[in-house]
Amino acid sequence: MSGYDDAAACDPARGPSLSVVLTGFSLALLLVSLSAGIVDPRLLDGVPVWNKPAKFALSFVVLFGTIAWLEVRLSQPWRTGWLLRGTMAVMAVCMIAEMGYIMMQAGLGQTSHFNLSTPFNHFMYTIVMAFGAVLLVTGIGVFGYAAWADRQANLTPALRIGTALGFGVSFLLTLFIAGYIGGRESSLVGTVGTNHSTLPFLGWSTEVGDLRPAHFLALHSMQILPLFGYLLDRWAISHRPVWVVSGSVVYTAATLLVFAQALAGQPLISL
Amino acid sequence: MTLDQVFSITGTIAMAGWVILAVAPRRWPLLNALPRLVLPAVLSLFYAAYIFAFFAESGGGYDSLADVRQLFTLDELLLAGWIHYLAFDLMIGAYLADRLDKVGIGRLLQLPVLAATLFFGPVGVILALCMEGSVRFFSFNTRGLAHVRV
Repeated sequence: MSGYDDAAACDPARGPSLSVVLTGFSLALLLVSLSAGIVDPRLLDGVPVWNKPAKFALSFVVLFGTIAWLEVRLSQPWRTGWLLRGTMAVMAVCMIAEMGYIMMQAGLGQTSHFNLSTPFNHFMYTIVMAFGAVLLVTGIGVFGYAAWADRQANLTPALRIGTALGFGVSFLLTLFIAGYIGGRESSLVGTVGTNHSTLPFLGWSTEVGDLRPAHFLALHSMQILPLFGYLLDRWAISHRPVWVVSGSVVYTAATLLVFAQALAGQPLISL
Repeated sequence: MTLDQVFSITGTIAMAGWVILAVAPRRWPLLNALPRLVLPAVLSLFYAAYIFAFFAESGGGYDSLADVRQLFTLDELLLAGWIHYLAFDLMIGAYLADRLDKVGIGRLLQLPVLAATLFFGPVGVILALCMEGSVRFFSFNTRGLAHVRV
């Protein structure tokens, strides 16, 4: 074993962080799904079957990439402590289970969410996918806590607050919004015909209410709010903590408005 | 030997190599030479035997999909094509495992790569290269940070 030859600072006994490896793993699933989408003409509810695995894989690239970005900024005791390593291991298992099922169902030309058609599908959706999703967003919450609690973390002030709040908002809002969607039979509010028109790639309805945009905004506060904090630090604006907290409140309110709009049966963008 | 027997024997040879790759310790060079060199070479001989003996008889070729299909109409060449997969997938699996070892990606994380290479050959290559690439990308971009274990 030659150990690690590319970065002197890396601990060869431990190997690279799981979050980094999973970022690449998700990227591979994204590339594979996009490739399959090019040659697979099948549609599912009017959307190409491989769009969903591609969207989820992209989301996992961004998720694990963001966690990897945070992780290298945390202090040694936090990074190598049981809490974050255990959290990451659980998230890895959940991601592989979720992506595995989503890709398998895409290959079979079947839905993966809301699919109760067979005992296996019922089990996969109500147990594996549901618990997997809850554990994944809880993991986001744990990393947000670490960003806040690790006083030795290599984070500038507003970036730290933005990261803690962004991850925290992502955890709480996604738990709420995705939990609500999971209790329904579809993410759509309203009835659609066979020629249902949707946004390209995203697949969000442009005709009726669709709860997925709110789910998207909720989940990705973990990128938006840290970025906001980073920019505030970079521009050295005064009263940065107030700005970050206000920004988080506004972002949360906007997400809930998008959620309410969908519940009222209105599409985010109508064409 | 019937074709079915050869199919079964070559399959067993390949699986032995995959088991070594998946679970055997990497520190025994002779054992590890099996999936890397010896078993792919044995499988390659099986392949060579069938492809040389039956290529002409099939009347097929490499220049169009129809010609390739013509090759595979002969069971001997269908078997040869299958052994080609077995030999190359195993060798590539071993190569990818070595690359992942070098960047410190452990055995547990190599298992999905090896499984993907076993079942869907090139998909395993995509997985391994993306995982390795991610490690290299992050380590390159975090060199300036004080305390780094990417």
